[in-house]
Amino acid sequence: MSERSSSVPAVSLRGLTKSYGSGDVAPAVAGIDLEIRDGEFFSLLGPSGSGKTTTLRMIAGFEAPTSGQIWLHGEDVTTKPPFDRDVNTVFQDYALFPHMTVAENIAYGLEVRRVPAAERAVRVQEALRMVRLEGYDERRPAQLSGGQRQRVALARALVNRPRVLLLDEPLGALDLKLREEMQVELKAIQAAVGITFVYVTHDQQEALTMSDRLAVFHRGSIVQVGAPAEVYEHPATAFVAGFVGNSNIYPDESARRSFGARGRIAIRPERIRLDKPDDLVAADEGSALGTIASVVFLGAETRYKIALDTGDDLMVAQLNLKESPMESHSAIGRRVRVTWRREHLLSLAENPQAAPA
Amino acid sequence: MISRIARWFSARPRASLGALLSAPLTWIGTVYIGSLVVLLAHAFWSKDSFTGKVAPFDWTLDAFGQILGNPVYLAIALRTIGIAVLVTLTAAIIALPVAYYIARIASPRVRALVLVAVTMPLWASYLVKVYAWRTILQANGLLGWLVAPLGIEGPGLTEIWNSWLVLTYLWLPYMILPVYAGLERIPTSLLEASADLGGRGWVTFRRVIFPQLIPALAAGSIFTFSLSLGDYIVPDLVSDAKFIGNVIYDNSALGSLPVAAAYSFLPIAVMMAYLLFARRLGAFESL
Amino acid sequence: MKRFKGATVAAALALLVAACGGTSEVSSSPSEKPAGWLETLGEGEGELNLIIWPGYAERGEYEGFNWVDPFEEATGCKVNTTAMTDSNNGVQLLQSGQYDGGSFSGDASVRLMTAGDVAPVNVDLLSNYANVFSGLKNQAHNSQNGMPYGVPHGRGPNLLMWNSDLITTPLTSWDAVWEGNSTVNGKISIYDSSIYIADAAIHLMAKRPELGITNPYQLNEEQFAAAIDLLEKQEELGVVYWSSYADQVAGFASGDLVVGTTWQFMANVLGTDANAPKVQTLMPAEGSTGWSDTWMMATNAKNPNCMYLWMNHMMSAEANGQATVFFGEAATSQAACDYAETISPGHCELTHAADEAYWEKIWYWATPREDCDDDDAATTCKTQDDWVEAWTTLRGN
Repeated sequence: MSERSSSVPAVSLRGLTKSYGSGDVAPAVAGIDLEIRDGEFFSLLGPSGSGKTTTLRMIAGFEAPTSGQIWLHGEDVTTKPPFDRDVNTVFQDYALFPHMTVAENIAYGLEVRRVPAAERAVRVQEALRMVRLEGYDERRPAQLSGGQRQRVALARALVNRPRVLLLDEPLGALDLKLREEMQVELKAIQAAVGITFVYVTHDQQEALTMSDRLAVFHRGSIVQVGAPAEVYEHPATAFVAGFVGNSNIYPDESARRSFGARGRIAIRPERIRLDKPDDLVAADEGSALGTIASVVFLGAETRYKIALDTGDDLMVAQLNLKESPMESHSAIGRRVRVTWRREHLLSLAENPQAAPA
Repeated sequence: MISRIARWFSARPRASLGALLSAPLTWIGTVYIGSLVVLLAHAFWSKDSFTGKVAPFDWTLDAFGQILGNPVYLAIALRTIGIAVLVTLTAAIIALPVAYYIARIASPRVRALVLVAVTMPLWASYLVKVYAWRTILQANGLLGWLVAPLGIEGPGLTEIWNSWLVLTYLWLPYMILPVYAGLERIPTSLLEASADLGGRGWVTFRRVIFPQLIPALAAGSIFTFSLSLGDYIVPDLVSDAKFIGNVIYDNSALGSLPVAAAYSFLPIAVMMAYLLFARRLGAFESL
Repeated sequence: MKRFKGATVAAALALLVAACGGTSEVSSSPSEKPAGWLETLGEGEGELNLIIWPGYAERGEYEGFNWVDPFEEATGCKVNTTAMTDSNNGVQLLQSGQYDGGSFSGDASVRLMTAGDVAPVNVDLLSNYANVFSGLKNQAHNSQNGMPYGVPHGRGPNLLMWNSDLITTPLTSWDAVWEGNSTVNGKISIYDSSIYIADAAIHLMAKRPELGITNPYQLNEEQFAAAIDLLEKQEELGVVYWSSYADQVAGFASGDLVVGTTWQFMANVLGTDANAPKVQTLMPAEGSTGWSDTWMMATNAKNPNCMYLWMNHMMSAEANGQATVFFGEAATSQAACDYAETISPGHCELTHAADEAYWEKIWYWATPREDCDDDDAATTCKTQDDWVEAWTTLRGN
């Protein structure tokens, strides 16, 4: 996608704020700045109520910002209505027109924009092919499965060839298996059409899987922006560390007591090794002794909760490479040594607002 | 004993359903259907022209002959249906923006107020409303007083258009409420989707909102159309015009039950046809 | 609005009765007692259900007019009333079987007697019957085969009424309602009943003698067509039809109506309304239709003793005097007339109560009959059904 990238960002948000109600209520979106590059698959990640959907709706034009600006491809669209913005949206509930067929739904945007009928037909077929729904032209939305409706919604947006496609938790209503299939498919479609995707999700797994970059939202602000691996490996705040993947997070005192570290730290459960109490520790490793307090068997891996002798708890994930699941249950109460590489202790910023971009 | 009966019924769901429904079904069957059948049977019975007595089971088609032989009955039917259609169209045209305002624009507080205002006339007695309109429409009434400075006289109580006006007023809430409910049922995301795809307000209304309101409009029109079609008090009190209902009333009250019964077939047939038409539009899913 | 409700209920009941019951047999054998015949007067049953003309059973709504409460006190018969809109309606109501009797005009009474719906009256049981003017006894409209079928309530003409604030020159004939003029067009008030065709016939008797109309209720094809033609022309003048007296009163009060056919009763009601325009009434020179009303008892009356008590009461000087003054019609006995004078001086002369010559000019409402109500078998006339249908046609167009 880099070949399509240009210096002008596809989406640029400047001090974007949205408040509902009067003063003392915290704003839904509190003055965010963000640049989304042309052609990128960009995710807005955050728990519900974090302001990510409101941000998306402001980009689409469904909500007017209280203050701040929205630029699309170098054009200020802050005050423009949705139909004057070169973006299209895939809605969480699909928002297919129930009284129209699949083909009519897809053709709607073209018809409204007065694309000639012949071209319209060709483009509708193209879009149907892209989402692998050839032959479904005459169906009504009610006759389709959830996954199929999702595809129609996607085709209906893409057929207009917008420069930016906004997706509002589009896979939220699908079951796990279908969701995973669609993730792959969406990614492939984005690669094929080369359009900027702005993708809202609360599912960190999904955001990590699909995004070129992502922004983590928390209480109306963006706490971190970066590539998935970057955000995962270097969470800027305790919130990011906890929300993106799992982390053991320790405040200053516990960090010093159990890990000999200074300041606030986090460590991923999968980065810790579980050894016998008398096993050796390498030079670049830290280590502590504890007792297995609980065991959760998850198939490919097992999660242990270790009560450290220092008094802190620690989550450890171990791939079940050799340990038999049958044995793991009898592990409770066993004495263990936990070992980690010092480089995997992540030190966290004190002030979540001061996150690096 | 009781538990044995209970067990017998619980093993036979159809029998228990039948036992449950037998009372209301008997009621509907005898009182409702029965009286309708008796009424319609009168259409085929003869009547002594001097004493006005109906002779049951003395079969004749005279009443139908009288109706078919006199063009006035057709004229009255067309007038009634015409006004009913006009009332329905007018109510729909007024109801759409009002319902849209209530459902989509008004704040929750205003919405509650407007809904109360819309339904308020339904709480008042029908006759009070009609008589109120009489005082508005009569020669020295409110309307006449308002237009007097323009050198125009009030409409008086003979104009057929008075019926159109008053019937529209009376039945408008029955159109607004289903249309409002229909609008409520349309998810906001559909309107956003239309705007998102380039549809401006009017296009969104025409292409997305209106088609989905057709069942609601059809449901509302069943009320406005059938209530207008069957009304005989409004045309009598504000218009001095005869509707189907007046002919039936006059004939039943004034001694020609067979003609009244025969003419009753007409509104029944018109309503049947209309209900079939409304069903095709999906009205019954919207009631 | 009693009229709609009552009529609808009555129509529904009529259906049931017509469906369930057979026809009543009137015995023609003199040795047998006719159906509904009362040999002796017993105690009142406690209830009485009457079909009335509006204003025929007052209980004090207008001050000084109350002849129902005293009756109830004296007899213990609780009186319930239903007002009819016209005679056809009255016949229909009585045939529903829910009533003990009613006050019927000639166009209803003859039909009811013929059908056997009303019973002959044993006048020996009615102490006040002897006082009744002889001109009101054993008439065609209240007796059959020399047997009285009821007792008179009162009689009167259908009058011409006009707004005398607007029409300052007193009218003398019906011409204003038939020919119209710039003052009255669009504001002519006409009785909404097929019986009004007779009023057209009376106008034709004066204006077109060549038609040979001798009885405005018995019209042959040609005469009938001329009457309908006249009514159609009248409708073009702008006519407002009334079927409830209250409609007409409201119309005159509001100025929507300025001239029309009425009963003295409505003029009296308008006279009590200080805000209403002044009205005058007249029995025009060419004559008029009118009524002579008879209290009759239904053959299947459930409360015959109360009905007899009521009939006797309505012939008493007090009741008949009040009732006839209230409605503005002629009293039925000299005693009633004298009583009426005490309420409304000059009433008897004004209403021509004892002036039989005056009543010669009045055509009491009667039922149109195919045999023209004459002895000539060759002549045929338009029937009641023809009249009703013609009226429907006139009003429906």
